[in-house]
Amino acid sequence: MNADVFILGSGPAGVQAAIHASRKKVSVLVAGKPSSSAMHGAHIENYFGTGEHPGEEILSEGIAQAESFGAVFLGKNVISASAEGGKFRFALEDGTEVEARSVIIATGISRRKLGIPGEKEFYGKGVSYCASCDCNFYKGRRVAVIGNDSEAAVSAELMTHYASETHWVAWDQEADRHLAEKAVAAGAIMHGSKPKAVEGGGKAEYLVLEDGTRIEADGVFIELGAKSSADIAMDLGVMPEVDDTIRVGADCSTEVPGVFACGDVAGRPWQVAKAVGQGCIAGTNAADFARKAA
Amino acid sequence: MVTELSESDFDSFVKEHAVALVDCWAPWCGPCRRMGPIIEELAADLDGKVGVAKLNTDDNQDLAYKFGISAIPTLLIFRDGNLADSLVGLRPKEDIIAALGIQR
Repeated sequence: MNADVFILGSGPAGVQAAIHASRKKVSVLVAGKPSSSAMHGAHIENYFGTGEHPGEEILSEGIAQAESFGAVFLGKNVISASAEGGKFRFALEDGTEVEARSVIIATGISRRKLGIPGEKEFYGKGVSYCASCDCNFYKGRRVAVIGNDSEAAVSAELMTHYASETHWVAWDQEADRHLAEKAVAAGAIMHGSKPKAVEGGGKAEYLVLEDGTRIEADGVFIELGAKSSADIAMDLGVMPEVDDTIRVGADCSTEVPGVFACGDVAGRPWQVAKAVGQGCIAGTNAADFARKAA
Repeated sequence: MVTELSESDFDSFVKEHAVALVDCWAPWCGPCRRMGPIIEELAADLDGKVGVAKLNTDDNQDLAYKFGISAIPTLLIFRDGNLADSLVGLRPKEDIIAALGIQR
């Protein structure tokens, strides 16, 4: 698929960007799942003009508005990105490929930590948040990959090529079916219970699940949510800050021409009002950029 | 450019600096690529106070194993040639300076 403007994220920043970009009569595609936006489950009471309102309702109203101007919401996460010769290319979890003239990163700040006992203690001693970084250290060893989304499916499949035994713990499976099947076909052993604790002596030895299962694991890979915005940014040539935010100018542009960022991923304050403000700026400027690039 | 160490010069490097900082990394690791510029800055800022170097864990797997590295980036801090501390994961410059205990 081709788009003038490709927006990553369908929270308040992404939706507002979609509204402003599509009103400029450029083609707009939007990736991401509205249900993973922090706004989705929030009760909003400090946003202008709405009174007290469930975030989910404001979001779905906004999406309908953007769709009425021509934006298309794909409802899928991005699993890879690249930039070449002024074109930005993406692969989505369902295999869809997107080529775009300009990009808006509006992925929010994702929660990477599980918060279970042993997670912090064994970080760097078996616990890892990056399967692609650390797979090499687990050749011939037993590992568990934790996560419900496609990113975890991809990591579980990757680990089967290194580890002697790969377990995949997904208690609320939301991964693309084909990616999940690929991981299982490669040998990943599925578990449907929530992780409870990482246990061990000087290093991780077991991953314990809420249903009582004790998985023997030298490595525990925590891969929550979608591919991180920091990874996507780097694939596009943008260097994120140490805290995973992306530095933008007042025009929401990044260091790479054609790549814009807005909302929580562009820094504090993490508020809906700031997200839609930046979404408006990013959507307008990305549409203008795409027009000039056409 | 920060010195890239290997098996042959690792020991001598950490012994010839009272304090040495070694950034363990690999080319495909995203967080390691982000750590790179921070290490370059530290090497310039702490020149003469701390020996700063990098170790590619893919090319030097025995050394990585010797120091128990199972996640990258990991920063190893040596004092008088002995491993004194290790920091796992991407860290801001200030945290690394604090761990080194160096006055700038």
